[in-house]
Amino acid sequence: MYELSQYAFVAAFAALAAALLLHLVNVLGARGLQAISVGGGTVSVPTFGPILDTAGRYGTILTVNSFAFLTASLVFRAIASGHGPFSNMYEFSVAFGWGALALFLYFQFQYRLRTLALLVLPIALGLLAYATTVPSEITPLVPALQNDLLLTVHVAVAIIAYGAFAIAFGAAVLFLIQRKDSIRWLPKKALLDEIGYKAVMVGFPMMALVIILGALWADIAWGTYWSWDPKETASLVTWLLYGAYLHARVLRGWRGERSAALLILGFGATLFTYYGNLFFGGLHSYG
Amino acid sequence: MVETQGSYSAADSGKVLPTVARGGAGARGGIWEFEVVGRIWRFFTSVRLALVLILILTGAVLVGTLLDQIPGSVLSDSAAHAQWLDRARTKYGVWTNAFDFLGLFNVFHGLWFRVLIGLLTANIIVCTLNRWKGIWATVFPPRVRMSDTFFQHARYNATFAAPMTLPAAAERVKRSLRRSRYRVQMETGDESVAIYADRNRFSRFGTFLAHLSIVLILAGTVVGGMWGFSDSEFIVAEGATRDLGLGTNISVGLEHFTDEYYLEGPPKDFRSDIVIYEGGKEVKRGTTRVNSPVKYKGIRFHQSFFGQAAVMQVKDEAGTELFNAPVPLAWQTRDGGRPVGSFDLREQGMTVYVVGPRSGETDPLVPAGEMRMEVYKLDGGTLITADNLSQGTAKQVAGLSVTFTRESRFTGLKVVKDPGTNIIWIASALMVIGLIMLFYLPHRRLWALVKRRDDGTAEVKVGMTAQRDMSLEAEFSRLRERVASALRGEKSGRTSAQGDKDV
Repeated sequence: MYELSQYAFVAAFAALAAALLLHLVNVLGARGLQAISVGGGTVSVPTFGPILDTAGRYGTILTVNSFAFLTASLVFRAIASGHGPFSNMYEFSVAFGWGALALFLYFQFQYRLRTLALLVLPIALGLLAYATTVPSEITPLVPALQNDLLLTVHVAVAIIAYGAFAIAFGAAVLFLIQRKDSIRWLPKKALLDEIGYKAVMVGFPMMALVIILGALWADIAWGTYWSWDPKETASLVTWLLYGAYLHARVLRGWRGERSAALLILGFGATLFTYYGNLFFGGLHSYG
Repeated sequence: MVETQGSYSAADSGKVLPTVARGGAGARGGIWEFEVVGRIWRFFTSVRLALVLILILTGAVLVGTLLDQIPGSVLSDSAAHAQWLDRARTKYGVWTNAFDFLGLFNVFHGLWFRVLIGLLTANIIVCTLNRWKGIWATVFPPRVRMSDTFFQHARYNATFAAPMTLPAAAERVKRSLRRSRYRVQMETGDESVAIYADRNRFSRFGTFLAHLSIVLILAGTVVGGMWGFSDSEFIVAEGATRDLGLGTNISVGLEHFTDEYYLEGPPKDFRSDIVIYEGGKEVKRGTTRVNSPVKYKGIRFHQSFFGQAAVMQVKDEAGTELFNAPVPLAWQTRDGGRPVGSFDLREQGMTVYVVGPRSGETDPLVPAGEMRMEVYKLDGGTLITADNLSQGTAKQVAGLSVTFTRESRFTGLKVVKDPGTNIIWIASALMVIGLIMLFYLPHRRLWALVKRRDDGTAEVKVGMTAQRDMSLEAEFSRLRERVASALRGEKSGRTSAQGDKDV
């Protein structure tokens, strides 16, 4: 089962890299076409259009494939280890990558928006690449981690929240690149703004649940639900930042550059939450 | 309701605009007539205040995480405090005193952190109360009949011709909205039927659940602080029993401590078999392990740490036993990180320190299998004598016969009583329920007006107002298609902005 999980991981990694390449061809090709037509060139645009579109379609198919392989990898590993992906950085990185892909596919099919792939797929690929640099062996659970159900739910909810924040980040970056809707190969600003908001609407309640489940576990394992441990603190700050984003938008009508900047800051905090324990140690030393 | 688009979006979304907030305080009259109270109230209705407070708190929390924090036990002891600062000086240099003065080494328990939390709590309570009226008015009771102007100006609107009688058209509109899981209310007139449809109307109250849960969580921490207690280093050696103290009549005995390891090396299990006594009577017996504490009368006993102990026996010259108990070596010597513990012989005016060998290497001072004993005077702490004891052999020290009988172990428990935790978990549940209501089940409202035409057929107008935070484009076009197909007639109105091609 462990070997199967590793094979599936490699397949997912390869499919994802190919998918990213095709999406790049699709989008940058379209960008090239725009430049040509703006420049009044003589290249016959219709010949290239369908090819680029095909690249984009296969990019999507490969992304779905990668997601399926990654799901299989996680399932095989869970069968082999007997618990959810929460015991080390390898497991959690793969799970985070899975979450980013899951949310990406959800938003892509909801909004028929391929361009988001340019930002979200590199994040997912980066997470998988990071996973290859850390030990992937299945090690037995130390006493503090022997709470399968609670921790599996804790991590499952965390990857949904983190995945959603990755989508919001992608939408915010594209929003800042898109100037006055003048770039045709990018989605309209209003749509990017809405996707960012929708993603936070998904992620924010989940992040609250992540923190609460973490506190519940800490209370059972250590007898205190909150100890200002670096990872706890960073997760709270992340949640507060997205809370600030929501309030600024709903109550003060913040849109556009300022709220996009908050989303980017929020994702920075998310990554800090995720990797912070590598710098600070603390109770959360395993992942 | 005012019939211009701008006002609709504000009043409608149930969110309070700055102008409304300002009017709200003055309009209350009565107790709010006092200018000072009004000013304070207005100060706390500001969402900007909340944003500023959250950003400051974020910064404070980052500082508290990045800088070393003084432990609570050190803080109450001025000598230990100074010593802590000396050590910090090697790390933070000239900034140390400034950081200490500003309370940056004690962020989370410092006064200004509490003031910030207090301000944020007041801010949340006032903002929430301030929004209650507007939100309530949005939900109960809804206005069913809207004027023609409303449908003209609504952010999302459409008009359909219905080749059927007025009641038939109204019935079809109602059915199509019901199928979209909207709750429908109708007001039937002779010439027209007004329809109001909404779903998830309780979603609006999610915001109260979420915000009040924050206040409840803070209340939970206060309850815990006032009526709870904790001892994170409650140490009992195997075979010994210790009073818990902390105002209880409870004592805890350790029968056995077990640590197990996997073949690969990492720890598998730490567990203590403990007996709890109340007023000297055994009341509970259980095994506490990480992730499964023993509970008695709201007090929880968590497995926290463990270590080595030495069973020591002391007799005087006449052979009378003065001391015979396991001594937990729960501390570290300052010089070489050796485990150390102590016990007092009050009548003899002595403190006896027992030092174990350094683990993982051969220790020149304390060879494996031996214990080093250092005897000090109780008052003043001058060294009387020091010697090594090998196991089972009595030695004459300062006129006493001392034996290191055998090695043993101690367990370190975290003992907690926190009546606030139940409040915290209830508040947490409310928070999650509130947020899910608010974000996963958003409130949607639609109005329709079915009118009789001169030729006996009907005309249907539908409209949704803009929401400040999000676009209802997709939702509206879905509903519009439903209504149109239900009426089976031609439709007019805005066409969808979304194309079919992926972008």
